[in-house]
Amino acid sequence: MAGSSTTAAPGFRKLMFQRPSVAVALAVFVAVVAACFLVPALGLAEPGGMSVRNRLTPPGGEYPLGADAFGRDVLGRLMVSGQTSLGIGLGVAVLSSVVGIAIGLIAGFFRRADAALSRLIDAMMAFPDILLALSLVAIFGGTMLNVILALSIVYAPRIARIVRASTLVIRELPYVEAARALGTRTPTIMVTHVLRNILSPIMVQATFIFAYAMLAEAGLSFLGVGVDPRTPTWGIMVNEGRQYIDTAFFLILFPGIAIALSVLSLQIVGDGLRDALDPKLAKES
Amino acid sequence: MRSYLLRRLVGMIIVVFLVLTLAFILVRLAPGDPASLLLGPDATPEEVQSLRVRLGLDRPILVQYLTFLANALQGDLGRSLFFDRPVTEVLASRAEPTIFLALFSLLVALVIATPIGIWAAYRRGSVLDQTSITTAMLAASVPSFLTGLIFQRYLATDLGWFPASGYGGVGADFGTRMWHLVLPSITLGITNSALILRFTRASMLDILGEDYVRTARAKGMTERRVVLRHALKNAGIPIITVVGLTFALLISGAVVTERVFNLPGMGNLVVNAVLRRDYPVIQGTLIVVATLYVLVNLLTDLLYLAVDKRVKY
Amino acid sequence: MILRTCLAASTAIALTAGSPLFAQEVVNVAIIGDPDTFDPMVSTKDIVSIVTQHVIETLYTFDEEWSVVPLLAADMPAISDDGKTYTIPLREGVTFHDGSAMDSADVAASVQRWAKVASRGMAIADKIASIEATGPAEVTITLNESYAPLLSLLAFSNSAAAIYPEEILADQIEKPVGTGPYKVESRVPDQYTQLVRFDGYTQPGDAAGERAQTPDEIRFVPVPDPNTRVEGLLSGQFDYADSLPTEAYDRIAASDVAEPVLLEPFGWPIFALNHKEGLATDLNIRRAIQAALPVDDMLFAAFGDEKFFQTDGAFYPEGWAWYTDAGTDLYNINDQAKAAEYLEEAGYDGSPLRILTSRQYEFHYKMAEVAAMALEMAGFTVQMDVVDWATLAQNRDNPAVWDIYITHSPFLPEPALTSIFFSSSREGWDNAEKNEILARFTSETDPQARKEVFAELQAKAYEDVGLLKIGNFNALHGKAKALDSVSPSPWPAFWNASKAD
Repeated sequence: MAGSSTTAAPGFRKLMFQRPSVAVALAVFVAVVAACFLVPALGLAEPGGMSVRNRLTPPGGEYPLGADAFGRDVLGRLMVSGQTSLGIGLGVAVLSSVVGIAIGLIAGFFRRADAALSRLIDAMMAFPDILLALSLVAIFGGTMLNVILALSIVYAPRIARIVRASTLVIRELPYVEAARALGTRTPTIMVTHVLRNILSPIMVQATFIFAYAMLAEAGLSFLGVGVDPRTPTWGIMVNEGRQYIDTAFFLILFPGIAIALSVLSLQIVGDGLRDALDPKLAKES
Repeated sequence: MRSYLLRRLVGMIIVVFLVLTLAFILVRLAPGDPASLLLGPDATPEEVQSLRVRLGLDRPILVQYLTFLANALQGDLGRSLFFDRPVTEVLASRAEPTIFLALFSLLVALVIATPIGIWAAYRRGSVLDQTSITTAMLAASVPSFLTGLIFQRYLATDLGWFPASGYGGVGADFGTRMWHLVLPSITLGITNSALILRFTRASMLDILGEDYVRTARAKGMTERRVVLRHALKNAGIPIITVVGLTFALLISGAVVTERVFNLPGMGNLVVNAVLRRDYPVIQGTLIVVATLYVLVNLLTDLLYLAVDKRVKY
Repeated sequence: MILRTCLAASTAIALTAGSPLFAQEVVNVAIIGDPDTFDPMVSTKDIVSIVTQHVIETLYTFDEEWSVVPLLAADMPAISDDGKTYTIPLREGVTFHDGSAMDSADVAASVQRWAKVASRGMAIADKIASIEATGPAEVTITLNESYAPLLSLLAFSNSAAAIYPEEILADQIEKPVGTGPYKVESRVPDQYTQLVRFDGYTQPGDAAGERAQTPDEIRFVPVPDPNTRVEGLLSGQFDYADSLPTEAYDRIAASDVAEPVLLEPFGWPIFALNHKEGLATDLNIRRAIQAALPVDDMLFAAFGDEKFFQTDGAFYPEGWAWYTDAGTDLYNINDQAKAAEYLEEAGYDGSPLRILTSRQYEFHYKMAEVAAMALEMAGFTVQMDVVDWATLAQNRDNPAVWDIYITHSPFLPEPALTSIFFSSSREGWDNAEKNEILARFTSETDPQARKEVFAELQAKAYEDVGLLKIGNFNALHGKAKALDSVSPSPWPAFWNASKAD
């Protein structure tokens, strides 16, 4: 929480968790991440192979969350798929932040580049996310990396917009002007003063992007242009379970819950962060 | 005021120009030669060459780009490979379901979200506030295709309240077509209500914090009357803003929803185009939707300007 | 005409506009995609056949026992003793949808075009010496060598020898004009194709069966998503739905509105091997694949219930004339250790075995997943390329990018219609002994002798691992309870369909 120290250090924790739901959401999300990454890594759960004769076994006993159409353990598969789903979410959040910060800083700092970059940001934002991702994946193929790239292109302008706006304000602040007057080089100013100050709103936004990217991935999987099914995601699991809606509803239920729970808790955490980092809204709610 | 309008218009033209450029680049980035891709593996080199000439692919890239721009500005977005008709014609024939789906689902979202948002702001911090927001967020956290499938399965097929899919079939009249949009609109509307709810609530909180509202409150007006007298009057503003904001969301949602309910809209068209490698249609859809987005946002900004006298530019 | 009392509100409203007194009898059919052409000559897609068979006719067709019977021909052809000359008498008084009468010039020109542009026609073009109109109602086809499957080819609705008016023949036919019981009234791509009764239709001979033209209209609606087809059928939107997921069987069976139609057995899933390039050109590698496949598990994972598949290695199921168990001791070996031995013998270096498949047909993908696991157990490095159908259709024609691709075929009335047996196919199975057997098979005219040669072919296909048959599977279609007189078929026809009130 690097950004928090400058913006709302004293009351951060109190502000962040003033609503109990935020603490619950954070706990849920941490638990989901731990289940997906730690449990398989520690060898506590065996993803198990196929056992076709046990296909569509209902939850309970040997298969706590049931078995899928290949007789694979749904619980183990949920954890493995979660790594990809969460990986895509995180990948998009990080990549779009990095790209967005770079574009936003340049636009905010260099007046000559600003006009062009701002329009470019506007133009990029005019493409709806699924539509653009769909086209990109169609053109370059459905790998995990391409899905991350496509969605990052979609979301980077949102970060860029925030960064640019904040930079425009911060660059006029007395101490930044002072630093410039003292001859500090622009890149140094950008990093030390501006970046430190805008980290908080970016973190809030990145949390939401994390959530949207996971939803968008599920949508792409539904449309049949997501990632390779051999590296499954929760979206792919839901989509595969669709045909068993009558015979084995649990096949869409559990991955559906996994997506909804992760997306919901991320959004609540994002709200909590915003409450803690944006004093104006926090005061009122 | 006038200079603001002028600035916005010039900005919009530049953005549309960039949209066209991005769409052009995107399709050119596709690996492989478009002509051989279009003709398939059985094509002879002569056939590929003649198509290259016909599509102008043999000319320098800058010439291709300028031709593309000139054509696009005259409303010529190329020819669909699958339909063998102009892209604009194909898109126009698919516009109706998408436009009405977007409108209806916006309506559904507003009807759900606005009253709850105002109420939640009025009772901020209460259990109701927290529950309503969390519920709305939960609804938005379930992938919309899943919501759609469950609605279709139980409300349409089992209970028979709504048509399960399609757009009424051959020669269906307007009423029938719209009736087929009800369930898809509810699906999409629910998914999108969370954003509107949060936006409405935040705007109401802003308004409730304004000086004149504080004054009214200080004069002894009850909170309920404050909300009714002052705050509601300004509720039009968030609604206008949110239309612009949710437009992109609605279109993305429409792609998935149209697929679930097999609606012959632009979303379904573009998914089919992707599966058929019909690049001109993909490109055309991107251009049209992005341009619409820019227009809608310009319009909402102008409306905002007209409604809210406080905004100064 | 039947006055409909109650149906889905939607169609009822839609119809009041056109017909004030009597509701039209309309059959709504959900199909898996949009026919991309209306010229069945240039397409081998089942979806094109299903729609166009109502509009465009061929000289011959198949009856319910899959025997060739005359359709536009007046009778079976007179075949010369050397099997090289087919003299085909034509029915008189047949009119095209444009009002013109069909004559021998139309037929000769159409069949000539077939030999030029249809993939099945082109495949035998070198065997055809001439196609000529030898009388006002007679066409003669002369061959260079006897070719027994010719009549089946002329009868097949897929890559069909369709008969058009001579005037419209061109490389590409935009608006096909046929002689069928229905004609295209309107068509909106991706939305529907509307066929209406053709009033000038004349019935074919008894052998082909009456085409009663019961419905006033037949509407084909493309519904690509299998689940949406099920929901549409169960909610009464469609009278018939093609290719449904077998998982929906019980639900459809329990419905008040609709019932399942099981095509049993429908066809065979195939693991096609690339004989042109790559790993599978090595016989020992092919044998390793053959030995490793756990056929039972693959079928079970893909179809879920024994109601929907049979573990059977014969290329034709029991009850068919072509049924034989020759060579099938090599079917369903399911011995990964044995496969490893073959790999050893082949000197396998661990380079990836590339399996090309798509999820257009979910069972393809499921069989590939299970097969991949067993192949890995045997020691293969497996690379699964799961792509969309358009990419698969493109990539399978490029021998450089795949070793196995997964496909399926309905059981075709004549083995020579299965292109994978021929060395000219995309798989390129080119084995001298097999080629010799195949040549004997196509030139032999005696049905009993042909059966014996086919057994040799099947045995060779197992021994040389020309292709891998996985089993038999049943297809699930669904129909409204009220709908009658539609015979189960891979290409269901609706000209006799009637709806009870």
